[in-house]
Amino acid sequence: MDLEFWDSNIELMSREKLEMLQLERLKKTLINVYENVSFYKKRLDDCGVNPYKFSSFDELEKIPFTTKEDLRINYPFNMFARPLNKIVRIHSSSGTTGNPTVVAYTKYDIEVWGDIIARQLFALGIRSGDVVQNSYGYGLFTGGLGLHYGIETLGAIAIPVSGGNTERQIKIMQDFKSTALCCTPSYALYIAEVGKELGVDFNNLNLKVGVFGAEPWTDQIRIEIEQRLNINAYDIYGLSEVMGPGVACECTFKDGLHIAEDSFYPEIIDPATLKRTKKSEIGELVFTTINKEGMPLIRYRTKDLTKLNYNTCYCGRTHARMSKVIGRSDDMLIIRGVNVFPSQIEEVLMNIKEIEPHYLIVVERRNYLDYIEVWVEVSEDIFSEKMNALEAFESSIEHKLYSAIGINIDVKLKEPKTIKRSEGKAKRVVDMRKGEKP
Amino acid sequence: MNNKSSNNGNIANNNIDKKFWDEEISTASREKIQQLQLKRLKKTIKHCYKNNNFYKKRIDDAGINPDKISSLDDLNKIPFTTKDDLRDNYPFGLFCTPLSEVVRVHASSGTTGNPTVVGYTKKDLDMWAENLARIMFDVGVRKDDIVQISHGFGLFTGGFGFLSAAEKIGCMVIPISSGVTERQLKVMKDYNSTVIVCTPSYCLYMAEVAEKIGLDFKDLSLKFGFLGGEPWTDSMKDEIEKRLKIKAFNSYGLSEVLGPGVSCECNQQNGLHINEDHFIAEIIDPKTGKTLDIGQKGELVFTSLTKEAFPVLRYRTKDISYLIDEPCLCGKTFIRMAKPMGRTDDMLIIRGVNLFPSQIEEVLLKIKDLEPHYLIVVDRINYMDTIEVWVEVSEKIFHEKIMDLEFFEKSIEEKLYSSIGIRIKVKLKEPKTIERSEGKAKRVWDKRKEL
Repeated sequence: MDLEFWDSNIELMSREKLEMLQLERLKKTLINVYENVSFYKKRLDDCGVNPYKFSSFDELEKIPFTTKEDLRINYPFNMFARPLNKIVRIHSSSGTTGNPTVVAYTKYDIEVWGDIIARQLFALGIRSGDVVQNSYGYGLFTGGLGLHYGIETLGAIAIPVSGGNTERQIKIMQDFKSTALCCTPSYALYIAEVGKELGVDFNNLNLKVGVFGAEPWTDQIRIEIEQRLNINAYDIYGLSEVMGPGVACECTFKDGLHIAEDSFYPEIIDPATLKRTKKSEIGELVFTTINKEGMPLIRYRTKDLTKLNYNTCYCGRTHARMSKVIGRSDDMLIIRGVNVFPSQIEEVLMNIKEIEPHYLIVVERRNYLDYIEVWVEVSEDIFSEKMNALEAFESSIEHKLYSAIGINIDVKLKEPKTIKRSEGKAKRVVDMRKGEKP
Repeated sequence: MNNKSSNNGNIANNNIDKKFWDEEISTASREKIQQLQLKRLKKTIKHCYKNNNFYKKRIDDAGINPDKISSLDDLNKIPFTTKDDLRDNYPFGLFCTPLSEVVRVHASSGTTGNPTVVGYTKKDLDMWAENLARIMFDVGVRKDDIVQISHGFGLFTGGFGFLSAAEKIGCMVIPISSGVTERQLKVMKDYNSTVIVCTPSYCLYMAEVAEKIGLDFKDLSLKFGFLGGEPWTDSMKDEIEKRLKIKAFNSYGLSEVLGPGVSCECNQQNGLHINEDHFIAEIIDPKTGKTLDIGQKGELVFTSLTKEAFPVLRYRTKDISYLIDEPCLCGKTFIRMAKPMGRTDDMLIIRGVNLFPSQIEEVLLKIKDLEPHYLIVVDRINYMDTIEVWVEVSEKIFHEKIMDLEFFEKSIEEKLYSSIGIRIKVKLKEPKTIERSEGKAKRVWDKRKEL
């Protein structure tokens, strides 16, 4: 395999040099926020960190975390580190409850973002002349526009299809000979399903690479997508508060997502004690942005659970790899005192061949006791079997879930195509304890 | 509270004394503009001839030697390009650069047949941003401005054009895209938006929702609107300006030629200045194809002068307008076009989305149990375009009540939506109730024309 790099100087930088660069940029960032954001000036003064004398990563630990709540309180523009006439773009979260979180970019920030994504897409083999169908939603959501400018920076052809209208997506994929697809992994599966109904043979299309993100997904889902769409599927990670998509992305070795460490400094903490833990152990990912002007964040809690790997990758890149996100510290379900992540359930289900990759976890409280069940679709053949065969199949799945996770989960098999599909982020959990309805 | 500072206000940047984004070209003499146009026209014709088989054949067939174009008058020897040419060469057949130089593709909004596809190189995108930045800057938009873009983003060109232009000026852009009107208003209020970009009918709808939730535009910072995507009248402009307390500029463009940025009103609001260093406009008689004189009403035709990936030679827009060459008080010398006043074909524009009756017909006729008799009814209710289609069902369905008609309506609506991309209400009618025609069927009843 011939390995080429978009920016070998940065991507292959020795650990030592990379850390020097990080430290230097970290200091610059602290000075920036100290001088320009009153929220951070107070924070740094209160914890006694002098940004002008900042000299070690350990010192960072003295600074309290920044949370989504901090962003809400400072809505809309109080976290900005530049005057509005230096800001050229804002994005924001959908803000279903209360104020949305607003993020800001200067021209420099937009350029850095484009360059990071170009680097990542290049690493996946995308080149100028490649036709990249971008089916992330465009607008205030960072997915669409973020990927978009990376594609253009790289010099490939961006097709800004945005989300939805799946039949049209497939027509464009065929007619424009799209070679790469960007969207959520659940939407990729939906495209595969609709394509199959329309009689499309993905083996005959030009699609070769998928860049999927914006929701956690397992390796089992990867295998499904790769088989159904006949592509290589890669995981891209990001969150708007930190930048948007591109904070980390896999390389072709699919063994962890390289964090763009020249721009983001990662830490892993224990979400219960909030102490730094060993980076190689699973905990909550925390980022400090070290290359942003408009709205840098110091020790931002992502709520995403992962672990880090600092060994140099087979691809030669030195940037640390995070494992696929295994869940959110928020999404962690506590079932009669046991911590359960939806991804654990997914992993078990996806190893069972007769099951379709569509499921819903339903949690409720009956007689003051937590109760969890999972609805799964089975293939046509299975479903048409006799009742007692279905029941036996259910028990066998329940047994597998129990032995992997350690709690009893009721399994309900559902007819094919009865579980709601998503065109964006999939909804995998309905927690009736919180008043949600399936 | 009200910070509607105009462009001669307290702006702490180097724009302070600058009146025009690009004064040299925007105020150049006619002679100089035409010299530039001729130079660029020659280059464009050669580029098309050399790099695209379709254009080569067209030019050869017309007996033109691309090296011998010597005056702007030679332009009318060149055959027209039409939307059908674009469709026939779907998807990339009219591109004049290799795909490796193309970085963006846009396409016309939802069609049942092939969409029209256009491509841009990096230089094209920069030219596009430059054209629109000039338009925005010259009416007073500066880097302090906060630009809320409520056009859709995606394959549609509306959102992207303004995004790049406003970022180029250094404005803060809110790429909010379309929909969720209350949220639009919350953003407008919380983020102090000073510029709104959307369709004129959506502007009025926002005004209406604002009234309902008790939001007064007097308390907002909005000062300019760049509105386009559909034809609108002076009375609509007055209404928008009065209700939103803004200056509303008519912005014109079409994806085949560029997207928004082909022309726009200046602060005189009396005709749309065409960016003549990048486009030549002509008015033709849509029936004979003959070029008409300045001031005569006819079909607008554009030739691009600087585009690389997707140049167009004499593209027929089907929009009806006329040209104005009198000097403008704003100081710009670019020729103006009157605001478009209709179409030469049956294309409908519904909330900014282009739609042909034939697209609806194609969907309906594929559905069993429908008769081939239908009527498309278009109206404007509360300033918003509405569209419904009345269609007859077969005797059998109607009398035997073998299916739930309401469910049937919904399923047709879904089919229309998935192939056309806009919501169209379906009303099933008894057999033989839709008026038959003895000549050309009347398929569209556009009540907006009766307003």
